[in-house]
Amino acid sequence: MNPDEPEHNILRFRDVTLRYGRQTALESVTTDIPCGSLTAILGPNGAGKSTLLRAILGWMPLARGEIRIGDAHAEHALPRLAYVPQRHAVDWDFPITVRAVVEQGRYPALKFWQRPAAEDRARVDRALAELDLTAVGERQIRQLSGGQQQRVFLARALAQGADIFLLDEPFAGLDLFATEELTHIFRSWGRQGRTVLAAVHDLHLARRVFSRAVLLATTLVAAGPIEAVLTEANIDRAFRAAHCVHAP
Amino acid sequence: MSHLFLDPFGYAFMRHGLISALLLSLSGGLLGCILVLRRLALMGDALSHSLLPGIAVVWLLFGASTTALFAGALVAGLLTALGSALLSRLTRVKEDAAFGSLFIIFFGAGVALLSRLPTRLNLSHFLFGSVLGVSVADLQLAAAASGLTLLAFLVGYRGILLETFDPVFNRATGGCGSVVHFGVLALTVLNLVAALQTMGVVLGLGLFLLPAVSAYLWCDHFARMLVLAVAVAMVCSWAGILLSYHAGVASGAAIVLCLGAVFIFSALFSPRHGAAGRLLGRWREQ
Repeated sequence: MNPDEPEHNILRFRDVTLRYGRQTALESVTTDIPCGSLTAILGPNGAGKSTLLRAILGWMPLARGEIRIGDAHAEHALPRLAYVPQRHAVDWDFPITVRAVVEQGRYPALKFWQRPAAEDRARVDRALAELDLTAVGERQIRQLSGGQQQRVFLARALAQGADIFLLDEPFAGLDLFATEELTHIFRSWGRQGRTVLAAVHDLHLARRVFSRAVLLATTLVAAGPIEAVLTEANIDRAFRAAHCVHAP
Repeated sequence: MSHLFLDPFGYAFMRHGLISALLLSLSGGLLGCILVLRRLALMGDALSHSLLPGIAVVWLLFGASTTALFAGALVAGLLTALGSALLSRLTRVKEDAAFGSLFIIFFGAGVALLSRLPTRLNLSHFLFGSVLGVSVADLQLAAAASGLTLLAFLVGYRGILLETFDPVFNRATGGCGSVVHFGVLALTVLNLVAALQTMGVVLGLGLFLLPAVSAYLWCDHFARMLVLAVAVAMVCSWAGILLSYHAGVASGAAIVLCLGAVFIFSALFSPRHGAAGRLLGRWREQ
């Protein structure tokens, strides 16, 4: 089957418009994200990359339009979504172990009086094993390499049981080895039908890692297979539009 | 030897002081960890200073009614916490600047009002605390504040941990971060008010921050940090009250000095996170 057919589109944006006060952050974005795809959200600073992620998570009310996850409105599909923060947003000195962070993925499924059941612990074990973190489970998070630190938060997302992963600049601050490792993880997730949507600022890296792209410049410049999106004309349009928006 | 440690507690006022300090150690240790980890330590300081005008206004209006004084302090503290939160959400001003601005206005109002009071002597124990004056009503307030804090941590442990460690993830998974944030601030105000009698406005915060920051230097697990902070606060409260009895110094100051000694020892000698351990590590690397 063609993955671009509507029934395979896990995220659907229709006329999505968002505003910060009077300023328009995203204008009339209409596009679809296929299930199991690796999609980069690209664009210059202020293009609306992080805003789009925030909108999917329901943190910003839409001024117009709608976002659907599968057949549901975004707000009814929170358990399907896992958000992975930027590395610089994490307090690496926090007194917490790798395992304890991954266990947080099970918190939303537990009532306050419930202790984690065998199934919850098994999910945490599986997530740690899948991301090769079992051996460092009892380490404090500062004592890991950059790649391992990033994998801790991917493991938490897995333990959550989500199938759509939203990442904000996942490659920021990673060395070449860790970048390759993360690329490998994303590709294997794609093969397993998991959908990855990541805000990325590095176009070369995006071209190497992701199969699809959404290019923004407050409005949608282009969306689809990454080679078709990242043409010279589209990139020029996106960055020229940003320059015009930011010009005094 | 035992007479040094036990005899002072033969007096009812010493027992009251000790029980009050132990109760506040429990809540102070727990809340202090959150304030330290969320980098709200200075906001706690601001909150403690903002209690002053509440006390002064009530004193002017109602005189020396202890219950009214505590209520006044509680209202002033909650107004500062709520006002700062609202200012930071409704204006461009960030929360730390909002706290800093409101607390200094409140503190200025407090000082101005105090200068209008007929006598200043009676307020000194609210500023510096006095273990001698802990009444049964004070104990009840400390027990209520401490019990409420413990209950909040038992019920909301996971939410508190998530909001402290990763508020973005908490929000993304449907958690209510603002409830945790306001809850922690409100409980801090309540416990600071409860600590007025034993520790005073200024020194009360020491029972929150010093045990927590000491425990932070030793622990790599959140739950262990909470337990260690409470234990440090309790042991130092007991030692401080003994010191205050034998050396004849103010109880709040004595407790803070004991906590300070533990903090300085931790900062110097904690093997992994203290200065000596880190310097030794660097020296070995070279």
